[in-house]
Amino acid sequence: MSLFSLLKHSTFNFIPKYVGGFEINILRHGHHLRGAPPGIARSLDQRMEEINYKDPELHYRVDIGLPVTKPDANVKQSQLKTLKMVRKDMNMEKESRNQTLRIDLQETNEDWLTSNGPMHIKTIADHYKIFEHLFGDAYFHPVVPMKISFLSTDVKYPVYFGNIIKPSESVVKPEVEYSSESNILWTLILTNLDGHFTDNSKEYVHWFVGNIPEANVSEGETVVNYLQTFPPKGTGYHRFAFVLYKQERRLDFSSFKIAKESDYSLNERTFSTLDFYRERQDDLTPAGLAFFQSHWDASLKDFYHTKLQMKQPIFEYDFDPPYIRPQKWFAKRQPFNLYLDKYRDPKQINKEFLIRKLKNVHPFKDAPPPIPFPNAEPWSKPYIPSWLKLEITKSRLKWGRINDIE
Amino acid sequence: MNIARRYSRIFPRISQNKLFSSEASINSFEIPQTFVNRNPRNLEKLRIGYKPDGYHVEKAGKIYWHKLLINESTKYVTASIHHFKNGQVLVASTSEWPIKKRLYRYNDVSACINLGRVLGERCLKAGIIEVSCFIEPNNPEGRIANFLKAFEQQGIALKEPPQYKPSRPWDQFRPEKPWEVLD
Repeated sequence: MSLFSLLKHSTFNFIPKYVGGFEINILRHGHHLRGAPPGIARSLDQRMEEINYKDPELHYRVDIGLPVTKPDANVKQSQLKTLKMVRKDMNMEKESRNQTLRIDLQETNEDWLTSNGPMHIKTIADHYKIFEHLFGDAYFHPVVPMKISFLSTDVKYPVYFGNIIKPSESVVKPEVEYSSESNILWTLILTNLDGHFTDNSKEYVHWFVGNIPEANVSEGETVVNYLQTFPPKGTGYHRFAFVLYKQERRLDFSSFKIAKESDYSLNERTFSTLDFYRERQDDLTPAGLAFFQSHWDASLKDFYHTKLQMKQPIFEYDFDPPYIRPQKWFAKRQPFNLYLDKYRDPKQINKEFLIRKLKNVHPFKDAPPPIPFPNAEPWSKPYIPSWLKLEITKSRLKWGRINDIE
Repeated sequence: MNIARRYSRIFPRISQNKLFSSEASINSFEIPQTFVNRNPRNLEKLRIGYKPDGYHVEKAGKIYWHKLLINESTKYVTASIHHFKNGQVLVASTSEWPIKKRLYRYNDVSACINLGRVLGERCLKAGIIEVSCFIEPNNPEGRIANFLKAFEQQGIALKEPPQYKPSRPWDQFRPEKPWEVLD
């Protein structure tokens, strides 16, 4: 065995590059580490944190809302008193130990809305990016709890913070309840954050009531009439947000008024909460928030045709195309038919499948019944190449590309 | 306000025919080919949003959009819903005054049952109806098991559907599109 062949078959990695005046390039087939070893290299989480880092000097958010009331010392005292009462309650102890204690969810919820609720609702609204898309870099705590419910066929559909209400359930304008101090004016605006057809940074205003005396929404000045939700088919879930503003004085909203004949004009209903608030920030303070999500349903076809007087737009999600590596002149160890099909126009392939199918279709007779045992069908010719046999079998079993034309 | 590419990019399937004459109708504007839905939860609800995949050998608890976490301290129990990107989005705890004042003890079975009811209600109100749960209770009649039971009884599924991957022409089957099933 020559020295050369011995080197070639050796498993040592430390062979010198020059042996006997010849240059020998030896591939190292062992374990390779790319980059720093795991203990030293940063983890994916650390790297993502570094990439997504935002300078707090530049990216900070402003609280534009009313201050959240903090419990004072007297509250602490009364809480201790309540706890002592609970400790003495024999009945409660019995229920607790027998696992039959059930707290009243409605009362708990009402207490929560006036204590931790505003902070929690702000978190979930941030999760839905409500503040970012309404006010940009500003946020507020919804300290005024609102009770909003749509009424449809004697069923109430309440609005909370992200629940789903169908368009057919939101045809009639909702009832709005909140508690207000005396001699205060409010503004209530309902907008769709996701529905604008032409400009993504804009919203459609669905309802606008200004100068509401205390909590009587019906006595307020209706600037924009209520319009039901109409998320187009295929665009998924849209967010609809009610924002309640506290006014410092009576405001003039005549520039937002829509004439009665153009009540269904979407161009007229184009709205930007950010621009609206920026102009009136001295007189308005956001105080309440409720939002819901809505999804296309069959009742909207008629609404688009009769009310909006437009053809119902239908969309479909556009997935990223799959990665197909560049074609090679000599693709080794690839099935030639499947490999070449990847680089052909899929429309042409589908056309060929369709032509093959139509060959056996009679224009006036019924379609032949489906083959009961596709794998037991005899072959039409004595010799068919194996790749073609496979293709025929796949088509008979409705596997693969045949599904695109069926 | 910039819109990143990760939001849903949606193309119309059919072109707009001139069904309604452009002069007579109120909404005569041309609808563009693409529609962007800014709702960050939309794609997750439609099951096509990104969900971290992890590795097949990875410990359970990494693949989720929303997941349920329970933290038991010596005195209180806290349950929360986490999002894979945004972290904690919903929380309920027996240390919260509205819940605490209605309980006798704050970490017994009764407290856990009531906590499950409260968190379940908050999830429904926030539009979260499916959460992944990687908690396996040791005792089938214990606190955690009772919490999960009460949470589920509120109408929340403790399992999230898998992420929908689009079918490619060379795939064997064409699975149903989740958003078409909804209609």
